Amino acid sequence: MTDDSALNDIRVLDISGEIGLYCAKLLADLGADVIKVEPPEGHPGRRSGPFYHDEIDPEKSLYFFNLTTSQRSITLSLQNPDGRALFKRLAATADVVVESFPPGHLDSLGLGYEHLCRIRPDIILASITGFGQWGPHSHYQWCDLVGLAMSGVMWLAGEPDDPPNRIYGNQGYISASIQAASGILMALYHRDVTGEGQQVDVSMQEALALAQETAAQTWDMQKVLRRRIGAWRVPMLQVPGIGNYACKDGYVFCYLGTPGGAPWPVMLDWMIEEGEAQDLTEEPYFSLIQELGLPLITQSVADAEAIERLAAPLARIHEVLSDFLGRRTKVEIYDEAQRRRLLIGMVSTPKDLVEDVQLNYRRYFQDVAHLELGETLRYPGAPVHLSETPWRIRRRPPFLGEHNAEVYGEVGIGPDELLTLTGAGVI
Amino acid sequence: MSEKLPLEGVKVADFSWFGVGPITARLLGAFGAQVVRVESESRPDGLRSLAPFPPDKTGYNVSGWFNNYNPGKLSLSLNLNLPKGREIAYRLVRWADIFVNNFTPSVVERWGLTYDDLVKVNPDIIAAYTPMQGLDGPRRDYLGFGAVLGPVAGYNHLSGFPDREPVGLGTNYPDYVVNPGHTLVAILAALRYRRKTGRGQRIELAQIESSVSALGPALMDYTVNGRVQTRAGNRVPNAAPHNAFPCQRVALPLWLELGLDALERPGADRWCAIAVFTDEQWQGLCEAMGNPDWCRDEKFATLLGRKQNEDELERRIGEWTRDKPAHDVMDLLQAHGVPAGAVQTAQDVLDNDEHLKERGYYVYLEHPEAGLTAYDGPGFRLSKTPGRLRSAAPCLGEHTFEVCKDILQMDDGEIADLVAEQVLF
Repeated sequence: MTDDSALNDIRVLDISGEIGLYCAKLLADLGADVIKVEPPEGHPGRRSGPFYHDEIDPEKSLYFFNLTTSQRSITLSLQNPDGRALFKRLAATADVVVESFPPGHLDSLGLGYEHLCRIRPDIILASITGFGQWGPHSHYQWCDLVGLAMSGVMWLAGEPDDPPNRIYGNQGYISASIQAASGILMALYHRDVTGEGQQVDVSMQEALALAQETAAQTWDMQKVLRRRIGAWRVPMLQVPGIGNYACKDGYVFCYLGTPGGAPWPVMLDWMIEEGEAQDLTEEPYFSLIQELGLPLITQSVADAEAIERLAAPLARIHEVLSDFLGRRTKVEIYDEAQRRRLLIGMVSTPKDLVEDVQLNYRRYFQDVAHLELGETLRYPGAPVHLSETPWRIRRRPPFLGEHNAEVYGEVGIGPDELLTLTGAGVI
Repeated sequence: MSEKLPLEGVKVADFSWFGVGPITARLLGAFGAQVVRVESESRPDGLRSLAPFPPDKTGYNVSGWFNNYNPGKLSLSLNLNLPKGREIAYRLVRWADIFVNNFTPSVVERWGLTYDDLVKVNPDIIAAYTPMQGLDGPRRDYLGFGAVLGPVAGYNHLSGFPDREPVGLGTNYPDYVVNPGHTLVAILAALRYRRKTGRGQRIELAQIESSVSALGPALMDYTVNGRVQTRAGNRVPNAAPHNAFPCQRVALPLWLELGLDALERPGADRWCAIAVFTDEQWQGLCEAMGNPDWCRDEKFATLLGRKQNEDELERRIGEWTRDKPAHDVMDLLQAHGVPAGAVQTAQDVLDNDEHLKERGYYVYLEHPEAGLTAYDGPGFRLSKTPGRLRSAAPCLGEHTFEVCKDILQMDDGEIADLVAEQVLF
């Protein structure tokens, strides 16, 4: 395979925990030589599910598989002095080190940024943690949930009566990892131009803060708190065409009457064509539908009289729409609504996504051969396409320490020394 | 510390709108690139007309939503629907190193801004397209803002409580970090490649693909195991407790209770997220709670036991947290080594979070119409070349003259003619 990747001249040592997994994956699939430096007992991600055929085995975690494509794995104990010496030999060959220890921990091991600079003056050290390298909370214990909570994002999700909701899938870790990869590439570009390396500091809390959307600016400007309101519903009014609607095989999400999509009467036309508009072609519904949109709703919510006047007819429109959508499948609704430029999306399940006609037309999913499992597994593919330097899954995820001999050999450690270090529990 | 920012000298033609494109270009600007944002009076960015606005102010220039995504840019008001407008667009493309866009493919084609069009005037351009569904395929022109993307990409089905409808995330989450972040990574990789080889390229981020990529394990659970995962609330298999717990409700000042938009009344409920992964953390939690008798119950002694009795565990912890301020619970638990964080409101993160304040995450910039308002800082920090927001968002067309004169090298007469013809508009 010709190596036409964007980062084919970059070597990365990843000694981070779960929070750095997606960062390392992004860099590896863009072509960097990413060496996952795992503790001898294995990266903690290997113990996270789901597992291949539910076989709970550190070599069969689909979570770890997904996040370690295109990488090599070595084992190394940083707690051991010989291990640290070995790490320094590796660091001399590395452009980037990714870590997620509590601030100061690497320094205490003699492997902090200043130490690494002595080995490799232009090195880039990316430190990804819950709260960053400095500040009063920098030593706080963190995990994905704590990041979501402290960033303000969690406050916005869910039904008002429930506890605030977590976003699925360690999105705090994913967001921090994406910010870290951006920071690393920014630092690499700077290094290319000036020869100067530096430290990248990523705080999960900050990495997520922008995902509050307008909440911070709404507080800043209006002293109003955006808070969780469930399915985007307007209090006291059942606004037809906004929110989830149950259909034959799940849900669709409707956002009718908002700028950008076709107006509500287009939805009514569809129902008329199918002979399912019921009494919506009559008054007062017909006239109301002609002006049904966000402006009408936002004017009405502050007006008790208007709410009283509108509540019943809006509820009836909602009922007819619910009937109409309830008789169809989500794909039928999605495709036909979009043909009519109505802002409706299907609420996709993982199965829907794997079967999605668009994703499959574009060959989004990638098959990766796992010879040892006697199987080819289907992976999520490129998040972004680069025409000249493609993102690509270059090799299957590594077994624990699979590349010990290969990688250590590259820094001049022969089989005898390897045997000794293995026997001593260093690798 | 270097005086020079990493992207000084890099030029960006930002033909995007709403979230993904502008946020990507905003970060390029924060790290030194010169960014020209192209809009027109006839087709302004939709976010310009959306709240929040400062009190008693209206118009295209004061939206906190728009302004937060566009600091440090120059605004060129250009009518792309006229042939002369497109000619000027090409002059800007010729000047630029990077082109950013997030319209649907048919709009890109109508305006003559496809990659094939651009390389005719600038063969080395790095052109980033971020349409919802990609540039080709049966659904390439499907409509959708983030509100629709979240459900379509699988986030709504997977997030939230199992006994609830898929209500979503409360914001258009993938629009803010996942999609602009992937775009930025690709642009920076392409920029390195161009520096080495002199060659530009086309970047295409289908927002659905980028968003789905952040849900990998759920997809592989289906492709490999045939299992369709669904909402699991705040619980995870490897920790218990792992949830948000109710804390002391906060009495609201009277002025907040009165006269505010009923849609967005400040909430009085408060919560603290608590997560216990290890037995050591469990001991810390018990100690912080004053080692009540129920903590010594055998059934809570191990993670397995805590998982099996999670309903009761959560109820008991909730009884303990209920009358305490959320931040006090957080600080106390943190002092005992337990991962805990107040579920912060926007007021908390902006005004009260001493940590964010000390790190200066939020930046206040003076805007000629909006006044002094808060902007999100960059999501990563570089020790020697820290990015910074250099100026507030531009007013619509604020720099039209400057861009035409200094960047596009037009003379005053030409500019005046184009203004008269409503090309610069």
